[in-house]
Amino acid sequence: MKKIIFALLTFAATCGLAAQNAKLPENIALKDLDGQSVQSSVIQNNGKPVILSFWATWCKPCNRELDAIKEVYDEWREETGVKLVAVSIDDTRSAARVRPWVNGKDWPYEVFLDQNKDLARALNVGADVPHTFILNGEGEIVWQHKGYQDGGEEELIEKVRELVK
Amino acid sequence: MKLGKTLKLIICTLLIFNFQHSIFNPTHAQGLLGGHVTGNVQLDGQMSRADSVIGAEEVPERLLLNARADVLYTNGDFSAGLRLEMYQNPLLGFDSQWKGQGVANYFVKYSGERLTVTAGHFYEQFGSGMILRTYEDRYLGIDNALFGASVQYRPVDGVTLKALAGKQRHFWDYGPGLVRGVDAEVSLNSVVKPLSGSKLRATLGAGFVSKYEDDENIPVPGTENRLNLPLNVGAASLRADLGFGGWSLQTEYARKGQDPNAINGYIYRPGNALMLNLGYSTRGFSAGIQAKRIDNMGYKSMRSLSGEMLYINYLPAITKNHTYAFLAMYPYATQVNGEQGVQADVMYKFKKGTLLGGKYGTDLHLNSSLVTALDTTVIGGLGTDGYTAGTFSKGDFLYGDLSLEVAKKLSKTVKLTATYAYQVFNPVVEGHAPDLYHNHIVVADLSWKVSKKHALRFEAEWMGSDSRYDPEHGHDDRRAGDWVMGLVEWNIGTHWFLSLSDQYAYRDGTGNYYNLSCGYTRGATRFQLGYGKQREGLLCIGGVCRQVPASNGLTFSLTTSF
Repeated sequence: MKKIIFALLTFAATCGLAAQNAKLPENIALKDLDGQSVQSSVIQNNGKPVILSFWATWCKPCNRELDAIKEVYDEWREETGVKLVAVSIDDTRSAARVRPWVNGKDWPYEVFLDQNKDLARALNVGADVPHTFILNGEGEIVWQHKGYQDGGEEELIEKVRELVK
Repeated sequence: MKLGKTLKLIICTLLIFNFQHSIFNPTHAQGLLGGHVTGNVQLDGQMSRADSVIGAEEVPERLLLNARADVLYTNGDFSAGLRLEMYQNPLLGFDSQWKGQGVANYFVKYSGERLTVTAGHFYEQFGSGMILRTYEDRYLGIDNALFGASVQYRPVDGVTLKALAGKQRHFWDYGPGLVRGVDAEVSLNSVVKPLSGSKLRATLGAGFVSKYEDDENIPVPGTENRLNLPLNVGAASLRADLGFGGWSLQTEYARKGQDPNAINGYIYRPGNALMLNLGYSTRGFSAGIQAKRIDNMGYKSMRSLSGEMLYINYLPAITKNHTYAFLAMYPYATQVNGEQGVQADVMYKFKKGTLLGGKYGTDLHLNSSLVTALDTTVIGGLGTDGYTAGTFSKGDFLYGDLSLEVAKKLSKTVKLTATYAYQVFNPVVEGHAPDLYHNHIVVADLSWKVSKKHALRFEAEWMGSDSRYDPEHGHDDRRAGDWVMGLVEWNIGTHWFLSLSDQYAYRDGTGNYYNLSCGYTRGATRFQLGYGKQREGLLCIGGVCRQVPASNGLTFSLTTSF
């Protein structure tokens, strides 16, 4: 078994180099804040980059990240045209709180719910949030990051700037 | 499980072909058959030594390790996945039945614009999950994935139909019950022309689940008789999600047929559950109230099993999911046999420039919940209807809390969050003798961005409780007593962090729980190393809890996605 795990890790490392431009899946069902079903293909920005952030109401670092980006979001949009899409993985326990939460926090983002974690699983988000992706104008995943530490948003916008250069 | 073997073979072949091709053609991300391979790996390890003060027991193995790797192959609308898991031996607190390794999960899936078909292992949820939700939580050690087939069809925009059948994963095997279900959801705004673009938003749904399980011999004590068990147990639910402007209302009502099982003591009373969420929100303000009543809703694909495995449905706790250590010390766990509760939640933002808002604004968050048992009258035991229950009258008090959180940015670089909470907890929810603990908790959380490269976070917590640690008189709960805690976290750049914390029961002396941890994150890879003592207690995620024994030693965790 250890051999298998080792092989798998090697495999993981190699694939990491090889398979860089996986696309965002198009046909995964999400809910918008009005409770309406939408397909994941709605996550796009007319040829400009998208920051896709998986979060949850109970996740403190997620909230710190999204609060911090809010402060600079207008500047980011103006400079790079980037759009942030926040996908909540809150389950039944807190899903009903997502809409009030987003309004209460006055977040200017597009927000979707992924209660069954279908999109999170398809993107290998694993068990921990925040997990943030950058998609280029073609919807390809070009960068991803786990966790948030104060100032992490700087690294994020740097990657976006490289894309629009 | 011949089908299983064939499926595994197909998935392995696809993955290997694709993998080899990516090695030989490193400039192309696409494999031989096109498509991409992605995945994630997680390793969690633990080394623990005995410590009699905190109750940590000797662990014979030097290293405990949980490991898993998901590999996913995607090609257009087609995808296939494989998960390897290894528990050699499982981490402390995980059921020993996890011990082992192998391919734990595999599937092939087609997701078109209108049709999604999955064969293999899958996770699904009908509505709020009251009658069906399969999910996985690697920290709790729960995976009740269905193994079988599922179809989702969207004949027109706004209509989703689902059908599925399968058996649930049970450690390294499957539960005995065959689970079948259908569900329909209609968004009236998409289907009814006059409603499109209307301020009124309405989505209606209905689901039905049936479980078939072979007969077994459950003797009726004191007689020669055995129970006449229903082989099929059905559950159905109706739900609505309505909205108007800033208002929203979600409700679901479920019923379950006769289901004598180990959780309810083999009684024949049908089950039911009702959930109601009412919310109003506008920019900078939100208020919500949630009510829930559960009556005999434990629904498993193995009638003789108690514990947390093989649930077909999901009934999360109605209380807020607290994250600060002391607020989460006495977590509430759902009582599937019967409970009723309400929760209220208010968020308000004092705007910049107002008296209370100051220069940067102030956030206020108020939350309160209250849960009681049902008011029941016992009419019999095994083989009878069990009890009758009053509809709205309340039974024993189970849990209540009230918390107020104020978050304020003090300057460009300093932010303070202060929390006060009052909590009343009945240990009966964890299966102990009834009692009431009254806890006052205060938390101060200060973050300071020292420079562009460095940030510090300080957390101080206090809890005063009337619970006492007195093992000689049966009070052996090591959470008891009054506690203080301090934490310092240092973020170096965006990659490194170092944190030091200590929790100390200053009155009853049930231990001094220090922890030192550091971590490194780069992109989607994260490594964390910790050393210290872990209090025994309940680890709860979404109302489902796992008992974690005390431990003393080293832990590490590596996660990566690619």
